[in-house]
Amino acid sequence: MHIAFRYRLLLPLITALLLIVGYPLGFSFWVSLQDYRLTAIEGATWIGIEHYIALLRNNSFWTALRNTLVFVATAVSLELLLGLSLAMLLHRRTTLGRNFFRSILLTPMFITPIAVGLMFRFLLNSQLGVITKLTEAIGLRIDWFSAQNALLTLALIDVWQWTPFMLLLLLAGLEALPEEPFEAARVDGASAWQSFWHLTLPMLRPTLLAAIVIRMLDAFKVYEYVYAITRGGPGESTETIQYHIYRVGFLYYRLGEASAMAYVLIAVILVLVVTLFYSLRRA
Amino acid sequence: MKRFLLKPLLTFALALTACAPMTTTPVAPSPESGPASVQPVTLTVIMEQVPDYDIVAELTKEFEAKYPSINIEFEAMPYDAMRDKLLTSFLASKATYDVIIVDNPWMDEFAKAGFLLPLDDYIAKETGYDFEDFVGPLREIGRVEGKIYGVPYYNYALGLIVRQDLFDDPDYQAKFKAKHGEALQIPTTLEGYLKVAKFFKEQGIHGIAMQPQRGYKVFEEWKNWLYAAGGNLLDEQGNVIIDNAAAQKALELYITAYREAAPPSSLNWGFDESLRAVAAGEAATMISYNWMLPTLNKPDGPAGNLAGKFALYEVPGGKAVLGAWHWAIPKNTASADAAWTFIAWLTSKETDKQRVIKGGAPIRVSVMKDPEVWQKGFGQQYYETVLKILEDAEPLARGTRAEEIINEVGTFLNSAVAGSMSVNDALKAAAEKTREIINRP
Amino acid sequence: MRKFYRELPPLALLLVALVVVIFPYVWTLLTSLKPEAAINRPLDWNFTPTLAHWQRVLLESNIPLQVRNSALVGLFTVGIALLLGAPAAYAFSRFRAGGSSLRFIILAAQMLPPAVLIVPFFLIMYNLKLLDSIWAVVATHLTFALPLVTWFLIGFLDDVPRDLEEQAMIDGCTQWQAFYKVILPTIRPGLGAAALFAFILSWNDLFYALLLTGKESATLPVGIAGFWTFRGIEMGQMSAAIILAILPVTIASFFVQKYLVRGLGGGALKG
Repeated sequence: MHIAFRYRLLLPLITALLLIVGYPLGFSFWVSLQDYRLTAIEGATWIGIEHYIALLRNNSFWTALRNTLVFVATAVSLELLLGLSLAMLLHRRTTLGRNFFRSILLTPMFITPIAVGLMFRFLLNSQLGVITKLTEAIGLRIDWFSAQNALLTLALIDVWQWTPFMLLLLLAGLEALPEEPFEAARVDGASAWQSFWHLTLPMLRPTLLAAIVIRMLDAFKVYEYVYAITRGGPGESTETIQYHIYRVGFLYYRLGEASAMAYVLIAVILVLVVTLFYSLRRA
Repeated sequence: MKRFLLKPLLTFALALTACAPMTTTPVAPSPESGPASVQPVTLTVIMEQVPDYDIVAELTKEFEAKYPSINIEFEAMPYDAMRDKLLTSFLASKATYDVIIVDNPWMDEFAKAGFLLPLDDYIAKETGYDFEDFVGPLREIGRVEGKIYGVPYYNYALGLIVRQDLFDDPDYQAKFKAKHGEALQIPTTLEGYLKVAKFFKEQGIHGIAMQPQRGYKVFEEWKNWLYAAGGNLLDEQGNVIIDNAAAQKALELYITAYREAAPPSSLNWGFDESLRAVAAGEAATMISYNWMLPTLNKPDGPAGNLAGKFALYEVPGGKAVLGAWHWAIPKNTASADAAWTFIAWLTSKETDKQRVIKGGAPIRVSVMKDPEVWQKGFGQQYYETVLKILEDAEPLARGTRAEEIINEVGTFLNSAVAGSMSVNDALKAAAEKTREIINRP
Repeated sequence: MRKFYRELPPLALLLVALVVVIFPYVWTLLTSLKPEAAINRPLDWNFTPTLAHWQRVLLESNIPLQVRNSALVGLFTVGIALLLGAPAAYAFSRFRAGGSSLRFIILAAQMLPPAVLIVPFFLIMYNLKLLDSIWAVVATHLTFALPLVTWFLIGFLDDVPRDLEEQAMIDGCTQWQAFYKVILPTIRPGLGAAALFAFILSWNDLFYALLLTGKESATLPVGIAGFWTFRGIEMGQMSAAIILAILPVTIASFFVQKYLVRGLGGGALKG
């Protein structure tokens, strides 16, 4: 039997992905249709879509989903804003020490998130935190992890770690833009702001779209900051979806229900990405 | 280029061969071969990474000298990691751990899932073991459906820890008397506790270092308040009563205490934070594990020059929440006999006495009544108070779904303290959730 | 001179960003050198530096073992990902195999939340008796490393002129030889960058490792997570371990940054 060269090249990868992604996904769906518990693995019984129906009235699950969406929206929009500003600054030919600034400013995105979470838990701690002590010294008392602030604080930590990623992509996008339109605009007497608004932004749109989608999907995975700092509290204010699934599956040992939650999560993400793509493509 | 690809290939091949010896199989003593100590055995023991682990590890050297054929290997890990790891070991074909410790909320769940070995026969055969000597409430935690699955190792009963010097200060006593018309005393009721706590707050020292952290911590602390108000999670018949009038009162007082007497921004505080606040002299009291007292009073301990000024009492209302670690043997271990030999030796009267003298938390009545322990340990008064606390204590939670109930109820409690839910709503929701968890098939 | 003044505001802004980025590192490093008592007084600068925390972390803890496990997991993950990913990337880039939809399906695999895969993986590893082994972790890390490396290399291969392998085949190479003797060497920087980036992602993962490893196989993030739990905290040692975890990666990042954009784009950023 002869298989074309290109498929022979592809075959190992496809096989591997089917094994480590395809099969687990299918298996997970099968698990979600059963009453699968870690304390009674052998005794799992088929219950059909009961888990999915139960999810409809599971408030904690929807709270976790809502928290995650708020977290993603806050973090990604701030990252976009900051990343774009920093990219514009670093893109200017005249800025001193561009390479130096770039290589340092990019470092947070390479660090393990659990370390980032623990560092900030320490820095913002109400008893030992240097940031808390410094803000108190200037008369500002901020309770970073109160019920109102905690989710925002986690989003800010995400901003610290992942703005560099935005910066990286946008800087690359800016560098790939052609020179001529900007020259022409300058000759016509356009202000820096005008040329940014009418030239840079529209031409940068594909990069912006890609950056937003990549960051969004990644922010959906937020887990380490919650695990390191708040464990979902106060109340349920920082319970994110990934943490919630971990809790149901591995602290309460209810794997069937956790799988059903994972599938609903995939559906939500899919809908979100498709809507985002179409609305941004059209705009 | 070739080198570049070759390297991972080589390492991969190496790894395949290196894979085999990664699992060490303990050698099982065959049941017919008489005493367990004929063939050399290695037992892996899971422990929580806290100071009491160091004491056990030190004592174990004596065990290994006495039983040269049994080799003990400890694996100490943080509490949060233990539940996953225990489960992984239960499910593995060969147990990773031959001797385990089980936290009180997990006992029913693990025993009924068939993960643990019943210990009744072992206990019956062990001469001079005196199982009845363990304090009653502790002993009962290890009993599931009439069989014993766990032997007490460590008590986590809660007590009221106070700065005795503040209560004895004539200046404070006079001010308190002037204000309230009564003497400044160690509180024995919730109302009294609140009064004292608010008083200290007015004097510039936080009244209580509270632990309202979501989940386990707030549930553990607040349940003492609940007992004091006459409430409970379930009544005698097993009905959920966590939304009754007593619970309402307990939660209202608890929240008032948090708002008016606890350090600000302490909504996420747990064990460490409150301990640090008390040790630093920022707070006058806390409800914490009874064995924290020796730590606080240790001359070179965390409290610095405040050491010696702390005292332990029963929690207001008298009845305390009881947590505990129990030793247990997983069903899938290959070395059950050797595992029991170790557990029996460690929890025997003699060894336990040594452990308590070195600072371990007491579990046996005879040890707490032993003048030698008083003298070499932390004094008669301390052990008598601990015994009193233990005898009037009730487990944090029982049942196969205790872990989930603790976390879910603890979430609603924390919401109420945060002010994002009313007391009534939070307790209603907690009760409903608890019923749902209990009634789930 | 006027030009210089115009440069001040952007410079000031960048300096602020620099401080925000660097401060946590510096503080963590300082904390790892402070005696326990000084950690309790954050604004007190009057302390004698100590190496006690470092000593405990390096000599008396499991951290060195966990560093080794993390390194092994990373190496195996990267090795397998390159072996399988490079040929596939070549097929995508040169032959448009499977069209663009297959490309995106592979990328989508990388985007799957780990929460979706952890339950089946846990059960599969339980059935295969691979719980508490680094192989379980390698398998899960491949779920993001394989798509990433493939996608990364497509971007680099697209830039290699086609004449190169045509010439090689005229010279008598087979298609396969043209690929690995001629094409692969020309994208060496890309291979290096892809390997390094995949290694970093594997080195940083907590979620999978937390649930699949045990005593022998715990990785560094799992070890770090253990320093601060609700019943105990070792601030000084934790800081030392954190520095240990982020230092190699930060240094590696200086080498990989330059190539990252080209790889991450995978053609998407150009279109």
